[in-house]
Amino acid sequence: MPLVRLVAGFVIWSAGFVVLYAVQALGCAYGWGDWHRPVLVGLYLLALAPLFWLALPARAGAAEGPLHFAALWANRAALLAAVLIFMPVTFASLCV
Amino acid sequence: MSQTPSPIGLHKQLDAIWRTPPGLARLSSVNHTILGKRFMAMALLFFAIGGLLSMLIRAQLATPNSAFLGPDIYNQIFTMHGTVMMFLFAIPMFEGFAIYMLPKLLGARDLAFPRLTAYGFWCYLFGGSILIIAMLAGVAPNGGWFMYTPLSSKPYTPGINADVWLLGITFVEISAVTAAIELFVTILKMRAPGMALTRMPLFAWYMLVTAGMMIIGFPPLILGSILLEMERAFDLPFFDPTRGGDPLLWQHLFWLFGHPEVYIIFLPAAGALSTIIPVFAQRPILGYRAIVAAIVAMAFLSFGLWVHHMFTVGIPHLALAFFSAASALVAIPTAVQIFAWIGTLASGKPRWDIPMLYVFGFFLVFVCGGLTGVMLAMVPFNTQAHDSYFVVAHLHYVLVGGFVFPMLAAIYYWLPHISGRQSLYRLSIPAFWLILIGFNLTFFLMHLTGLMGMPRRISTYPSNWGWDWLNLLSSVGGFILTMGFALVLADMVLQFRFGARFRRDPWQSGTLEWATATPPPSYNFAAIPHIDTRADQLRPARIGPTLAGGDGYLGFARNGEQETLAVDMMSGDAEQLIVLPRRSYLPLWTAMATASFFLALLFKLYWLAPFGALATLVLFLCWPIGLGSKSDRGPIDIGRGLAVPPDVEAPDNVTVLANRTALVMNGTLFTSLLFGGLFLLVIAPGWQGSSAPALPLWAGALAVVASLSAAGASAMAAHRPGSVLPLRAGLVAAIALQVLALTLMALSMGTLGDPTGHARQAVPFVTLGYAALHCGLGAIMAAHALWRHAQGYVSAHRRTELVLARLWNGYAGGVVVLALGLVALLGLNGVAP
Repeated sequence: MPLVRLVAGFVIWSAGFVVLYAVQALGCAYGWGDWHRPVLVGLYLLALAPLFWLALPARAGAAEGPLHFAALWANRAALLAAVLIFMPVTFASLCV
Repeated sequence: MSQTPSPIGLHKQLDAIWRTPPGLARLSSVNHTILGKRFMAMALLFFAIGGLLSMLIRAQLATPNSAFLGPDIYNQIFTMHGTVMMFLFAIPMFEGFAIYMLPKLLGARDLAFPRLTAYGFWCYLFGGSILIIAMLAGVAPNGGWFMYTPLSSKPYTPGINADVWLLGITFVEISAVTAAIELFVTILKMRAPGMALTRMPLFAWYMLVTAGMMIIGFPPLILGSILLEMERAFDLPFFDPTRGGDPLLWQHLFWLFGHPEVYIIFLPAAGALSTIIPVFAQRPILGYRAIVAAIVAMAFLSFGLWVHHMFTVGIPHLALAFFSAASALVAIPTAVQIFAWIGTLASGKPRWDIPMLYVFGFFLVFVCGGLTGVMLAMVPFNTQAHDSYFVVAHLHYVLVGGFVFPMLAAIYYWLPHISGRQSLYRLSIPAFWLILIGFNLTFFLMHLTGLMGMPRRISTYPSNWGWDWLNLLSSVGGFILTMGFALVLADMVLQFRFGARFRRDPWQSGTLEWATATPPPSYNFAAIPHIDTRADQLRPARIGPTLAGGDGYLGFARNGEQETLAVDMMSGDAEQLIVLPRRSYLPLWTAMATASFFLALLFKLYWLAPFGALATLVLFLCWPIGLGSKSDRGPIDIGRGLAVPPDVEAPDNVTVLANRTALVMNGTLFTSLLFGGLFLLVIAPGWQGSSAPALPLWAGALAVVASLSAAGASAMAAHRPGSVLPLRAGLVAAIALQVLALTLMALSMGTLGDPTGHARQAVPFVTLGYAALHCGLGAIMAAHALWRHAQGYVSAHRRTELVLARLWNGYAGGVVVLALGLVALLGLNGVAP
C-alpha cells in the first residue's frame, strides 16, 4: 500500500496526460468545434481533483506509513506537474 | 549443522555448492557475480568498438571535402556508433553492474532467477555479435540509430541493413527485459531480513525505479521493431502512407522508448553517485526521502517528453505545449538530486580521491547538458536547432556526463571489489584530465557548429561555411578523449596485475557489498545479515568477519542446495526460503535456439523461423524439470531462531511476482499495439474509402466466450488446488477452450481481407495474431500446470503453477476481448474525415 501511495499521484498524472492528448487528437480529427476546449478543460479539472486530495497532508492523528514523506512530496510534485503541463488546454490553439 | 564449522570450513562447504567449475563448464554458469562481470566486460568491449567508430567519424569530419570514408560507409559508421553505444554499451553496462552488485548490496546470495540472467547474457552476446559481424561484412544498419521510416522501409533500404538492426536489437533487448523483471523482483523480495524498503540503500531505489521504467519503456520499441520488420518482410503497411500507414507511428513508438531510455541510463548512474558521494563526504546522504520522491517524479515525467523529439513534424500548438512544459519540468527532480549531492558534500568533510574527480567531471558536464536540454525543450529554439550539431553536442553532454563520468567514478570505486586490489593511481589522474579536456574540446565546439547551421549526419561539408576549424578542433579533442580512455583501460589492467591487496572495505563505506570478501566468494555471504538500521550506514568491515563465521541467517550448508531468503516487500521480514536452481547449460541452448529464430528471419528462411521459436519454447519448458518439491516441507529453520516455509509453498513467491511483472510488460506491448491501431485510424492518411476488415461476428463472439471461460476454468483450478478432479477438469477445460479460441482467431485472420493491401486490414491481422498467440500460451501454461500436478509438484500448499496458469489465461481472455474490440472499431465507418 505505501508503494501504491508513492506512485499514485503520478499514475493519475500519466492517465490524465494520455487522456488529454488522445482527446485533443480525437477532437481535431472528428471536428468537435466549440465543444473541444470545454471538454479538455473539464478533463483537466477532473484530473486535478484526486491530485489535490493526494497532496493534502495526513489528517491529525492518522497513522503515517513508512514512505509517508516521500509519497506526500511525490504526489505534490504530480499535482504541480499536472497544473503546469495540462494548463495549455485553457489557451493554446487546439488543432493548428 | 549441529557443529559450527570454522569460517574456512564453512567457505569450503558453501563454495562447493555455489561455485562454477573451470573449463567448458564455465558455459553453464548462472552465478550473478560471474555473469555481471561478463556483461560488463562485453559492454566495455562494445564501448571500445563504438569509440573506434567515433574516431572514424571524427577523422572523416576533421577537414572539409574529405574522401576518407565516403557517404555509404559513413552512414553505416555513424548508425553503428549510436546503436552500439546505446544498445550494446550503456544499457548492458548498467545491467551488468546491477546484476553483479545488487544481491551483495541487498544481502542476498544471488538474483531471483539465475538461469534467466544467463539466458539474458547469451542473448546479448549473440544479438550484439550479429550487429558487429554485419558491420564487418559491410551490411550494417545505415539509417541512423533511430531507424526512421520511410528511410528504413524496404523501398529505400532494400538490403538487409535495416533487418540487422531490427532483429539484432530486438534479440539484444531480450536481455534488457529479462534483467528488468529479475532486478525488479529481486529488489522487492530478496533483501536481507530487516531491510525494510525505507532502509534500502539509494542505489536499490534507483534500480527499482529503473527496472520499473524498463518494464514500461521497452515494449513500445519492441513492438515498433516487430511491426517494421513485418512491413519489410511481409509487406504489411504499418508505416507506408500510400496504404493507410504513417511514418509518424514509428517515431511515436521509438521515442516512447527512446526518451525514457535516457533516464533509464542516467538513473543507475545517479544511484552510483548517491552511493559514492556520501562515502567521500564522510556523512550520510542529504535528503534521502526527497531523493526517493524525485526519482519517482523523474521516472514518470520522462514518459511525458517523447514528442519533444518530434517538435518539427507538424503538431498542434496544444500538444507542443504539453511536451514542452513536461520537458522543462523534468529538470526540477533532476535538480533536487544534484542539490542533495552538492549539499552532502558541502555539509560533510569531503576527501578527494580518484572517484571524486569523476564526480566533479559529472557535475560540470551533466549540468551543461541539462541546461541545453531546457533550451531544446523550448519549441522555438528546438525548431532552429533541430537536427543540427547542437543536438549532437547536447545528447553527448547528457549521456557522457550522466552515464560515462559516473561510470568511471563507479569503476574506480568498485573495481577493487572485483579485483581484490587497489588502484595504483599513477595513470588515473592524467587519464581523468585527458578525458575531461578531450570531451569538452570535442563536444562544446559542436554547440557552435550546430548554431552555425551544420546539420548532423552529413558525411562532409564544403570549406567556405566557417565550420572548418571548429570541426578540426573537435576531431583533435576526440583523439585526446580516446587517449584518456586508453589510459583508464591500462590503469584497470595494471590494477588487476600490480594493485595492492586489501582486507575489506578500503573506502570506509556504509553499504553491505563491502562486507563480502574481495574478490567476492561465489555465495556472497556465508550468513545473511539482519539489518536493523538504514543499509547505507552500516559498518561492513565489522559485519563482514561476523558473517563469514556463519553468524546470521542460513549460516550453514544444507543438503547441497543453493539457499537464500525472500522477505516481505515492505517490512523486510523474513518470509520464505528460496532454493535457487544450480548451474545448467539450458540457458545457453535456449539462447542458441532463439538465435536460430532470429537468424532464420534475417536470412529470410521464413519456413525455418517457426522451428526456432518452437525449439525455444520446448527448451523453456525444460527449465522447471527437477525444480520444486514433491512434498510439503512446512517451515524450515533459517537460523537466529526463525523458521519460514520454502517459497514453493508460499502464494506470493518470486515466480508469481515475476510473472505478474512480465504480464504488465506484455500488457504495455499490447497497449502500444492498440495505440498504434487507433493512431492510424485517427491520424493516418488514406483511410477514407478503404474497405473495412470483415470479421465474422459469430467467430469473434465464440472466441471471447471460449477464452473467458478458459480464464474462469483455470481460476477454478487454482482455487481448488487440493481437489484432484476439479483441478484437472478445470485445467483440461482451459486447454480445450483456449485451443478453440486460438482456432477461431486464426480463422478470423483469414477472413479479414488482404493484410498487405491497407493498414486497416494489417492492424486487425496482427492484433488477432497477438490474441491467438496468447490463447496458445494460456493453453500451454494450463498444460504445464497439469503436467506438474501429475508429477506430484502441485498440492494445496504448492500451487505456483496453478497461479501462473490462472494469470496467463486471465490475460489471454482480456486480450481477446480488447483485440476484438479494436477490430470492431476499425470496422466501423468512423474514419476521421
